[in-house]
Parts: sequence; C-alpha cells; structure tokens
Amino acid sequence: MNDSNIVGQWTSAPGAHDIVTGKARYCPDLRLPGMLIGKLLYSPHARARIRHLDVSKARAIPGVFAVMTHEDIAGENSYLYAAPDQPLLAVDEVRFQGDAVAAVAAVDEQTADAALNAIEVEYEALEGLFDPLQAMQAGAEQVMSGEENVMMSRTYRSGDVEAALAAADVIVENTYTTPWAEHAFLETEGGVAMVDDEGVVTVWSSCQAPHRDRMQIARALAVPESMVRVITPYIGGAFGGKDEAHVQIHAALLACAAGRPVSLVRGRRESILTHVKRHPFIVECTTAASSDGRLLAVKVRAIADAGPYTNATHEVLNKFGEFIGGPYQVQNLEVEQIGVRTNNPITGAFRGFGAPQAAFVYESQMDDLARKLDIDPLQIRLLNGVDTGTRMYTGVVVREGSTMKESLRKAAEMIGWEKRNQSERRPASHLRRGWGMATILKGSGLGRGLADHAGVVLEMHRDGSVALRSGAADMGQGIVTVMAQLAAEKLGVDISSVRVVRADTARTPDAGASCASRQVIVSGNAVLEAAETIRESLMTIAAGKTKISKDRLELKGGKLLVDGEPHALSVADLALRAIAWGYPMHAESRCHFEYPDDVPEVTYKYSQEIFQFCTHIAQVLVDCETGQVTVERLVAVHDAGKMINPGGVYGQIEGGCAQGIGYALTEELVVQDGHTQNASLENYVIPMALDLPELEMGVLEVPEPSGTPLGAKGIAESPIIPTAPAIRNAILDAIGKPLYQLPMNAERVLAAVES
Amino acid sequence: MAEIDIRMTVNGSVQQLKAGAGRTLLSVLREEAGLTGTKDGCSSGDCGACVVILDGQPVNSCMVLAPQAEGSQITTVEGLAVDDELQPLQRAFAETWAFQCGFCTQGMLMSCHALLMSNLNPTREEILTAISGNLCRCTAYQGVVKAVEQAAAEMRSQDQNRHE
Ligand code: FES
Ligand code: FES
Repeated sequence: MNDSNIVGQWTSAPGAHDIVTGKARYCPDLRLPGMLIGKLLYSPHARARIRHLDVSKARAIPGVFAVMTHEDIAGENSYLYAAPDQPLLAVDEVRFQGDAVAAVAAVDEQTADAALNAIEVEYEALEGLFDPLQAMQAGAEQVMSGEENVMMSRTYRSGDVEAALAAADVIVENTYTTPWAEHAFLETEGGVAMVDDEGVVTVWSSCQAPHRDRMQIARALAVPESMVRVITPYIGGAFGGKDEAHVQIHAALLACAAGRPVSLVRGRRESILTHVKRHPFIVECTTAASSDGRLLAVKVRAIADAGPYTNATHEVLNKFGEFIGGPYQVQNLEVEQIGVRTNNPITGAFRGFGAPQAAFVYESQMDDLARKLDIDPLQIRLLNGVDTGTRMYTGVVVREGSTMKESLRKAAEMIGWEKRNQSERRPASHLRRGWGMATILKGSGLGRGLADHAGVVLEMHRDGSVALRSGAADMGQGIVTVMAQLAAEKLGVDISSVRVVRADTARTPDAGASCASRQVIVSGNAVLEAAETIRESLMTIAAGKTKISKDRLELKGGKLLVDGEPHALSVADLALRAIAWGYPMHAESRCHFEYPDDVPEVTYKYSQEIFQFCTHIAQVLVDCETGQVTVERLVAVHDAGKMINPGGVYGQIEGGCAQGIGYALTEELVVQDGHTQNASLENYVIPMALDLPELEMGVLEVPEPSGTPLGAKGIAESPIIPTAPAIRNAILDAIGKPLYQLPMNAERVLAAVES
Repeated sequence: MAEIDIRMTVNGSVQQLKAGAGRTLLSVLREEAGLTGTKDGCSSGDCGACVVILDGQPVNSCMVLAPQAEGSQITTVEGLAVDDELQPLQRAFAETWAFQCGFCTQGMLMSCHALLMSNLNPTREEILTAISGNLCRCTAYQGVVKAVEQAAAEMRSQDQNRHE
C-alpha cells in the first residue's frame, strides 16, 4: 500500500455531502409519527431526602402520555455499567444537582413543561459534602449510606523512592489543582425511542457505545437484549462525554410507557448540569533529580473528586498513575491514587482520561526543576526521555520510542527554540513574552489484560460496490472515513464505492466503545482482514481468467492491473464472476487486539503499550496589568504511526489543541456548594475562532510495530494533553512566576504577577 | 398561546407557517417548515449553530421571534445547493475537512456564505471575524478558513469567466 491514492490522502468524509447540505440527521432532527417530547425533572438540591413525590396532577394533564418515577422502572434502576450506583430516577435521596427524579412524555414542549411543573416533590435539604479533603476524613458523613466516601485508595510503587529522594541533589515539591471541565459537544445528549411493529424497542442514540447502550436499555426495561435495537444517527461530538449512557435509557422507558415514540434531547443548561465532567484533581508531587538534571524519583499523591457516583473514577485514576511519570526514564516512582465521593457534579470520561491532569503536573515539575538547575527545558527533556527499548516504571517496554525525542526536536525547530531569545521579551512595559514546552505520551487501546476487540462485516456486490457494516460510533473523529479508506484500498475500488452502514445493533457487529483512541486499531484491523478474504476471491478469479499468476496482478481504482497496466477486466467484472461461482464475497471479521508477548512482566494494571508521543511549544504574551494571556503561537508535533486519513488527523490535532488552550486558560465549571454557577456557553468559555493562534502542526510517521493497521496509531486523545502545561511553562518563562492551578485565568495570572 | 400564521420566503419559496407568539424563527423553521439542517446548540444566542440568512444578514435564528421574520427572505443550509449541485463553499468545506462532527457546520456555512456575498476576497482576519459567533468544539476553524479561501478563489475565477 505504498503508492496509495487512498490511504494517507486527503479525501472527503463519506458523510460530507449530507453534512454540507443539511441532510445529515442528528438525534434532535429525527421525526416519527406521533412522536412525543420527553423531559426529565432534576433535583434543585445538591443533597436532599425525597420526603414525598406525587405525580398524579402531572398525569392528569391532557396531552401527557407518561409520567414515570423510580417505581415505574421494571428492570434495573441504574445507569452505570461498571459500578451500578447512579439511579436513572432517584429513589429516596438526591446526591447531586443533576440527579433526575421523574420523567415525562407529552405531545409538545409546553405540555411537557407543564407536566414537570405539576409534579410535587417535597425535599428535605441535607447538608452536602463538597470538599473532598473533608469528605475523606474518618468519621465524615457518608455521601452514599453504607459506602465509604473514599471509593478508591491505591498506591503503586516501583523502585525505591525514599532512598532515591534521600540521595537526590535537588527536590521540587508542589501541589497542583485542576478544575471540572465540560465537554461542550455542540450537540447535547439525545435519544429518540419507539417500539416497532414487532415489539422491538428501537433507540436512536447520540452515543459512543451503541452495543453497551443496548445492554443498559434492556436491563432497565427488563426485556431481552434481542428486543432492543440501538442505532447511531450522525453524532455532534462526544469527547468521552457520551461514553456513559445519558438520556437514551429514559427515552426508551418513556416510549414503552407512553406507547408512542419519544424524543428526549437535553437543553444546554441541563446538559452542563447533568453529565459527567473531567475529574478535578488535587495532586501533591515531589520530583527529585541529580545535579546534572537526571530524574531520580517521583512521588505523588492524587485526590480526585468523583462526585457521588463511581462511574469511571477507578479507570481515570488508573490512567493518571500510569502516565504520571511522563515519557521519562524514571524508575523510582510512587503514586497514591485516591477517589472521593462528594455531592459535587458527577465525573467520568473526557478526552485524555486522567492523562491531561497528570501531564499538567509532570511537565510543570520538569520546568520548575530545569529552572532550579539552570538547564534548558529542551535539554532536560532530551536527557531524560525514553527511547525504543526503555522499560518504564510500569514495566511496559517502549517498542517504538524514537518519536519521543524526534517530536521534541522537530517542535523546537518549528518554533525556533534556540533563537527565541532574539525575540522581544518585553514588547511594551506591561507586556512579557515567553516560551514553554511540554512533551507527553498517551496510549491507544484499552490496555493489557482487557478484552479489546471489534467486528466488521464487509460485502462486495456484483457491481463492485461495497457495504461496510461496523458498530463503531463515529462522533466526528472520523473512524467511518478510516474504515472506508482501508476497505477501498485493499479491494482496489474508489472510496466512493464503499458505503458505510453506521452503527446499528441490528445490522452491525459490536465494535465496543469509541474511546481510548482504539477504533483505528481494532476496527481498522478487522476491516483489513475482512477485505483480505474478499480480495482473495477476486484475485483467484482474476488469475483464472487471465491465466496470469497472482503476484503480477493488482486491484486499483476499480481496475485489474497486470504488471501495473490496466487490463480489460474491472473489479466489478471479477465481483460478478466471484459471486456467480460462490466465492466468499461477504466476510465477517473480528480483531482481538493482543499486545505482542515480547516483554517481561508488566506490573502496572491495564497498561497501554501503543504510545503516541507528542510535543507542544507555546509562545505567549502576558499582559501584566490585566493578567490576560495571549497564545501567540502554538506548535504541535504529533506521532500518528502511519497517517491513514490526514484530514482527520489534522482535525483531531487542531481540536485537541483548542480544547487544551481552553483547559489552560478559561475552562472551569464554577461549582459552589454543589451548584454549578456557569451552566451556559456564555459563561463556560470555550475557544472561539478569534481566540486561537494559527496552529502550526507537524505529524511524524514512524510505523507502530505492535500489529496495528499499516502501523497507524490512535490520535484522538494526545492533542489535548500537552497544551496546558506548555502554556503554563511559557507563562513561567514570561513572568518568572510559576502557576499551579488550572485554568490560568486572568485573575490567577495577575495574582502570580503581583506575588 | 394563540397560533398565528406568518409568511416568509424560505429558500426561494413562499411559505405560510404557524407560529405561536413566543416561538423563535429557529423552532418554526425546524418544526413547521421541517428544515432540520439548522441546528440548536444552546437556544440562547451563544453558539451560532442556528445561523440563517435573514434579508441578507446572518442571524442567530434562536434569538429571532418568528413574527419578526414576517415578510422576510430566509436562506437556510438546505437552500445553498441548487438542483443538488453543491456550491463552491460547500464543496470546499467537504474537501478541506472544515468540520469533524458537522453539527456546527450549517451555521458556519451560513456565516461564511454571508461573508462571500459581500466580499469575494476576504482576509484571514475577515473570515475569523465572520465566524466569531460560531462555536466549533471539534474545532475545525483552520479548515473553515481554508475552505472559505478556496471557495472565494473559485468564485472569483467564475466571476471573471463570466465577465470575459
Ligand atoms: S442555538 Fe442559536 S446561538 Fe446557539
Ligand atoms: S465540527 Fe463538531 S462542532 Fe464543529
């Protein structure tokens, strides 16, 4: 696949035409005959006992078809697949501001609102636990009665940290705080449900994991999974925030109760108040080094505020610990990971999954250390960086590590790192300019020891057209394009000949969730394998017809090539014959991704081993009178293994950088006593076009050797991870004062300037 | 709420649509005219997903009360392609990856279309200003700039050909 005209080339996404004409339908655009509007009633309290709940008045309103409380849920009243402790509808207590208490379905918006207003709930407000440090004290009141507030407490140790600390020449010790961050996907969560003629509950869901949704819906309805069908329409962004189910289960419950289709779409305020956020962390970190800048030990204590329910807290803390050592050679490392229940917003998956918090800590520590030792930030990173073959503190051996240093060097070259001091550091008396870098690693795939698989069904028809059926949700990240490219490439047809059937549990095999930058690997491999079966059929026919051996034949651009020259036979001609003669032209394949067994014992649980290394370097201008930070330049160099879809790769990098700039400078959910103060896109500030510099992006392509499609790696998460620490280090360079809290908004920067 | 009828020209055809006094142009376009290409990202004027062109100006349709649009000319994303043939701007959006999830796209398209109606040679700054009310969380702003530049160039050369 070297001189490909498909893989590695810019190509329009298969859905692009629908998107630019407005035909693409997202959940809120679906219309079904007799469709009702569903709504949920949420708790006004961060913590309260429900003394009395009366829905009779709501039920009596004309045009109201269903009003449900927890009593009306036939099956399991819980959301969460991992630890089922969040109710779909609260039973006797609400534990955060976004707990739902009742659900209604009515003929229109106004009637549904009237029904919500008519529901009588008597709450006894309780004092909530809002400070994780207090909630974790012995004797603190329990957020969930019968459950410890400290839901997770684990320490991972490698080497001898205390001895290394004692022997170190320098020690840097700091405490970091990071905020709740909001995904702000442009399409809020939605679900549309109906019961079809055969009694199958069919749900269109704006989600990342359609097959898992199906399981959760079936459990809540107490029906067999075979009676539930989940379809993904177009999805307007997710970033981890639609990995866990949201309103699609409620939509299904309401449709069954009402006997009519129901559309349940969250409004923006409701969305911000209710879905999971990036975990806020408090991290104490001690980093020790020798006088020449070699890292000797890292000791960390991380406390994550989980909100009341478990969700992905264990997994996020696990990833935090897995990456807190950074892409460095440090062997002595101790990380204590503590997850605490509070009555604050719920938390869960968000692009990077614990790694952005970790990177803010370890990359800030690196620069503090470099300053203390008077070593250049680039040099200290090159000195400590991993290489191919490095065994990290997790026990994982880096199979391809050349891009760690390569990304540093390339980013430094792109920004002109060595020449930066020739630029004006003080363009006006109140302005300071500075440069800062951060380099990180993040893995793709679920991790060693976890079942990581995806299936796909591929079929070539008599006319050479291809149907590709995959259960992988495409939320905009582009997996549909990647799969179409791989299939087209292998089968020698144009990408326009491949029709991708979007995830539909009745028609497409399970591909697992679109998370952990994994789909390009698992679904990509499954496509290649299925395509190989069909290709073999075509080649056998071709060899038979032409009497030319297969090694001289090729399929490309819809044509059969002999020694590189077009032959009269087309791929469609071959397909017609292959089908007529009964050769396999319909193939199902499932990729079970296993890491090669070429390493000694991996000690860290569920470690990822396919690494994206990347470096960001920021140039900032700080206004010392206002605290305003302008990112003047941002260079981002990323490792894609092998780029299959450049449009998607650059898009993911740009998007990650922008979200990273938001995380660095403005994005913070302001929560007071469990109540979110800025639940709007006006007050939760995400970057707009004019806020961003023209990003300078570089992509490295060193094929991954672990058996990924053509050596490709997932690229979805890494771009958000280094941005905030790069900007933090640039601010430090500009004003000479370190910051330890995100976001570094004007107020905090000004305080640092004046300190 | 009393239902009233409003008349407007939507994508070239005169329509009579039901609109209660409190309803927004966005809701009437989506629910009454069935034009769901126009999206609702916030209902509060903060995201630009609902931009349509009203009498030549891009507006957030969630902030316009339907009766205010009485007698007006409206263009939505569905009105851009003529006989299913994509406009240069639409083609350029598809080719340059000016979107990822596409949810912001129709609003972006309308803001950029409005810009190109008055300026076929926009600078980067002018393009960014034109989309400064359009949030994109996947962030394809650079793709949008590229797309507008590409479309503008194509439209300029079309213009030139026409004049020769
Ligand atoms: S929906 Fe109108 S501005 Fe967001
Ligand atoms: S492409 Fe997803 S919000 Fe713009």
